[in-house]
Amino acid sequence: MISSDVIRGYNDTIILYLLLENESYGYEISKQIKELSHEKYTIKETTLYSAFNRLLKNGYIESFYKDETFGKRRTYYKITEAGLHYYKEKCQEWKLTKEVVNRFIREDFT
Amino acid sequence: MNTIIDYLDNLFATLPKTKQLEDIRADMLANMEDKYNELKKLGKSENEAIGIVISEFGNIDELLNELDIQLDQKEAHFPLLLEEEIEDFLKTSKKTSMLTGLGVTLCMLGAALLILFFQLPNFSELAATTIGVTTLLVLVAIAVGLFIYGGMLKDKYKFIDEKGEFSLSFNTRKLLEDKKNAYQSTYALSVIFGVILCILSPVSLFIAMAISEEAVTYGVVALLCIIAIAINIFIYYGGIKDSYNRLLKLEEYSERQKEEDKVVGAVAAIVWPLAVCIFLISGLVYHQWHINWIIFPITGLLFGMFSAAYHILKTKETK
Repeated sequence: MISSDVIRGYNDTIILYLLLENESYGYEISKQIKELSHEKYTIKETTLYSAFNRLLKNGYIESFYKDETFGKRRTYYKITEAGLHYYKEKCQEWKLTKEVVNRFIREDFT
Repeated sequence: MNTIIDYLDNLFATLPKTKQLEDIRADMLANMEDKYNELKKLGKSENEAIGIVISEFGNIDELLNELDIQLDQKEAHFPLLLEEEIEDFLKTSKKTSMLTGLGVTLCMLGAALLILFFQLPNFSELAATTIGVTTLLVLVAIAVGLFIYGGMLKDKYKFIDEKGEFSLSFNTRKLLEDKKNAYQSTYALSVIFGVILCILSPVSLFIAMAISEEAVTYGVVALLCIIAIAINIFIYYGGIKDSYNRLLKLEEYSERQKEEDKVVGAVAAIVWPLAVCIFLISGLVYHQWHINWIIFPITGLLFGMFSAAYHILKTKETK
């Protein structure tokens, strides 16, 4: 299990990654995060919606309503051009971060 | 599943009622519902599923920080009204409105009966005075009893009625709004019916006049009875509407309105008993029974004008 503190700076990146191919909604995203991380990371409901709000405010994603078969109305999210740009930046940043942190990790301790 | 709804409701109850937060709450509820159903499908027990869903909810403060929401401390500290309390408040209000309406109707019927006794051919003036005034006083006494009883019933809800020191969860607010909307048509019908009764009430006078001079008094009695019914309708249905407005803290119950209610109430408490006194004295001492009933419609009219004028003045002042 990953602590939410460690991963905090990358929640936005994770969400944007999941929106790269398809638009999606809250539960689907949190389920995918759980699955893709092999259940090592579960994003909390409040973390997810804080991230949505932040991404919306920065114009990285857009939201719209979609009615489901059972009459449930859901908020869907879609990545924007700016979002894609930001995602690429974050990928670069992570590469660098990983490189730097790795220099301080002793292989025989892991 | 209800546990989850209640959990969310309680968390959001003290937050500002904005569209943004309501949307987030609705989405979160939908997500949690999906998660819950999936866990159940995987063979988790009810309790396990609820436990997992709630443990994966997180901390509401995180969201509030992100949304830049400062909690209004005052609002947050008011206790949340339970659904049962709301039901009971509505029921009590209904009962009180009925008692008040009945009381007012009884007073008016007392006046009508008094006039009637004077008109009955085989009654001497003394007998009419004695019986009529006694009946009126008894009816007024019963009415006062009803008012006091109604007031006592509502005493435990002072914090809703007068202070407004409570908060509603999203769920109960929604429920109340639906209920109020459903009631709206009943209320509109009752007002229409009451107003029609009031407008048509003088017809009884005209008919009586057309029949004979003697019959005019019966016309007055009929007029009073019709107005008594109309007032009963206004008080009863108005009281029910009032109780919804109070729970939903609609604009009528702002600070200014509360102050206004107090002043109008204080004036009413002086004016109406005074009218009854004038009515009784002019009748008993000056034997003006045939005309002194007019004091009631006149008082009603003047009082109505006073509250309307006061309301307009106060509204202007605060603007």
